[in-house]
Amino acid sequence: MTDRLTTLRKTIENVLPNVEGVLALRIGPGGITAPHLFSKEHSEELDKLALWPKEPVPDTLKIILRAHPDAKLAIVCRGCEERGIVEMFKHSQLNLDNLTLIGLQCEQDEAEFCRCAKPFTVHSKLTVGEPIEGVPDPLTAKIEAMSQPEKQAFWKQEFEHCIKCYGCRNICPQCFCNICALEDETWVETGRLPMPNPSMYHMVRAMHMTAKCVACRECEETCPADIPMAVHFRLIARDVREMFNYEPGASMDQKPPQLLVLEEGEYERSGLPH
Amino acid sequence: MYEPKIIGFLCNWCSYRGADTAGMARMKYPPNVKIIRVPCSGRISPELVLRSFREGADGVILLGCHIGDCHYATGNHRTAKRMPVLKKLMEYTGIEPERLYINWVSAAEGEKFTTVIKEFTETISALPPFVETMK
Repeated sequence: MTDRLTTLRKTIENVLPNVEGVLALRIGPGGITAPHLFSKEHSEELDKLALWPKEPVPDTLKIILRAHPDAKLAIVCRGCEERGIVEMFKHSQLNLDNLTLIGLQCEQDEAEFCRCAKPFTVHSKLTVGEPIEGVPDPLTAKIEAMSQPEKQAFWKQEFEHCIKCYGCRNICPQCFCNICALEDETWVETGRLPMPNPSMYHMVRAMHMTAKCVACRECEETCPADIPMAVHFRLIARDVREMFNYEPGASMDQKPPQLLVLEEGEYERSGLPH
Repeated sequence: MYEPKIIGFLCNWCSYRGADTAGMARMKYPPNVKIIRVPCSGRISPELVLRSFREGADGVILLGCHIGDCHYATGNHRTAKRMPVLKKLMEYTGIEPERLYINWVSAAEGEKFTTVIKEFTETISALPPFVETMK
């Protein structure tokens, strides 16, 4: 861990003169890790550089770039965060020209914590640490092996715990719509807990995550009710791979399937906002 | 034996006309299906299907133009891509994926319309009422 930290610090120090700031994790007051924008004016802050626990850095990047679209930044990203940035780029949420990616490879225990199939970066030119193989996901396999009534009982119990805090939506690097279907009274009723079964909130969110979810598991991490919702996203991601041959974040050029017609051409855009 | 409630979303240009053709030829089909006419099958978002289930439908049937015949050129391509994913999601959540059915029916295919509705009604009748399975 320390070794990666030293290398990362050196890499950031090399990058800092060429950019306006480097987005990485810092141990803040009270020992809490949070995203922080390191700048050359305050390079002494790098003493507090941190690696773990993982926090949603792309989400912070999104907020900064909305206010300052031309900022020249660098970002320290893990495999999942890099995939998130690539998907945000594909959906026109950020500009990669002004962004330097510093890839941070995950270690075995971190990958196992996230049940991650791809704990390594692929697009970053600068990398820190050695890439490792992905680990299997026992929870998803367990839930998939259940029978139909078992699945139904399992999800009913999990969704009953949901307090509709919208934390999973807010933390998601892929949830960037200005108008959110989950805030529409037609689909998700306000003031009703537990939600009626089947949960519209979770099923609509799972549908909207199709071919977008990059398996960063931030939603599960942030959930106060510990709902394993990433299981849905991962199972659907597998189907999307089979049906449309598409993996979110894997390639810079491949267009997401929802933007293509069946013959692989692009949709003709109407005058309406897409 | 219960009478299943089925919501049918029919595209205005092909399937709704197909239902008309079936009606004009006086073909018989089960009365369980409540038809909602939509401009295009691509209009049907997963939210609409899920809400139909939440409001007490036992099955949802979605009929559109054949691929290539869409009045809006590529509207039904969206349906063809999006609905299989929804079926998978229903399966993973523990809802029988048979409760959602997608097919293409053109304006001339009155016969196909009645067969599709008959077969789907039989499938749904074999399943328990949706509201009870969700309790």
